[in-house]
Amino acid sequence: MTTKLTFSKGIIKLNNAEQSASEIAEKLRNDIFYVLKRRGAIIGISGGIDSSVTLALAVKALGPDKVIGIMMPENDSSPDSKILALELAGKFNIKTIEENLTSALSGFGCYTRRDEAVKSVISDFNPLKDKFKIEIKQNVSNMKLPPIFYVTVYFANGAIESKMLPTKAYLQIVAASNFKQRSRMSMLYYHAEANHYAVIGTPNKHEVQQGFFVKYGDGGADVMPIGHLYKTQVYELARHLGVPEEIIKRTPTTDTYTAEQTQEDFFYQLPFETMDLIWHGWENGYTAEQIGNVLGYTADEVLNIFTSFERKVRTTEYLRLSPIHFHQTDMSTGLSY
Amino acid sequence: MDIIISQIEQLRNFISEITFSDIDKIQDDTLLFEEGIFDSLGFLSLVSFLNEEYGVEVTNDELSEDNFKSIKAIVEYIAKKQNSRLD
Repeated sequence: MTTKLTFSKGIIKLNNAEQSASEIAEKLRNDIFYVLKRRGAIIGISGGIDSSVTLALAVKALGPDKVIGIMMPENDSSPDSKILALELAGKFNIKTIEENLTSALSGFGCYTRRDEAVKSVISDFNPLKDKFKIEIKQNVSNMKLPPIFYVTVYFANGAIESKMLPTKAYLQIVAASNFKQRSRMSMLYYHAEANHYAVIGTPNKHEVQQGFFVKYGDGGADVMPIGHLYKTQVYELARHLGVPEEIIKRTPTTDTYTAEQTQEDFFYQLPFETMDLIWHGWENGYTAEQIGNVLGYTADEVLNIFTSFERKVRTTEYLRLSPIHFHQTDMSTGLSY
Repeated sequence: MDIIISQIEQLRNFISEITFSDIDKIQDDTLLFEEGIFDSLGFLSLVSFLNEEYGVEVTNDELSEDNFKSIKAIVEYIAKKQNSRLD
């Protein structure tokens, strides 16, 4: 019988980073070679912490000659992404390929459809000069209600305007922006198939379980080696594996909208260090009081955060579902259920 | 009074339709968020619906449980907003 640990700030710290990294690398190697029967790994690298750690693990698993990093800048990408991705590739001695997706995304109408939706809410928005982002303004620990999204435009003249997004505009912005993740996925699979390699996904535990990924976009991959790790554990592995310090220090952004935006503003509403611990407590049956006492929240605040976790898991179930397959039950009518 | 009854029915129908919930399970005092009837998109749709249907513009400060916890609370909130416009 295992004894439940007392809830503490160190409860999810990896006991032995080398052992964790080696176990993941061993499983990844086994999955790629013997389950997927592929000769190597393709990873989209953005200079972010998750893709960097995934790449480092793949190199540990397969060696640098069997890993290719694909950089996929587009019109809205930060120039830092490429600089950091190249630094990472240099550190781990892997081959990189740059594929600019701007033309493909323009062809899909990604930018025009998205900008049209922003303009429908803030009519003075000029995508050629102004920048925008989507954000949540409520404080998750004080809210029992689901979050409401706002669009904030940063005008070239320095003015800022923020408005609540109506459903139609919100859905159109999300749907148009998701072309980005889906185009990246298509490009990764091009290179994977051209080399007979597997696509290695980069979402972490929160992204997978809270549904912060695009179905058939960044959620489209053959294996997800860090999908079970909390963000703070990803950082622990980054330090252990020698990911460049500039990448570790960089604030995680969505790299999706034209204005710089943190993942905390856009989706999580909590700092990673806090979210990891509360999620762990929630998942493992610790009470709101036990968690609140350690982290300096009231039990009510922790319960509100639990509610937001439950809601996110429930409402994003669709993203994690595979296509529903019908089975033919009656050969004479061909009816399937 | 008729206006209130019609608003209640309109809201019940709307909520049932956008949340795929059985309309009989949505009563005036059903706790919409505690029963898990609403998700984020459903709530966003409700806020848009209030604007389109009743001209109610919800501000960030008004996004509270008190205003949205049940159909009864929403109807009271609509009345309060409409009255404040008349003042």
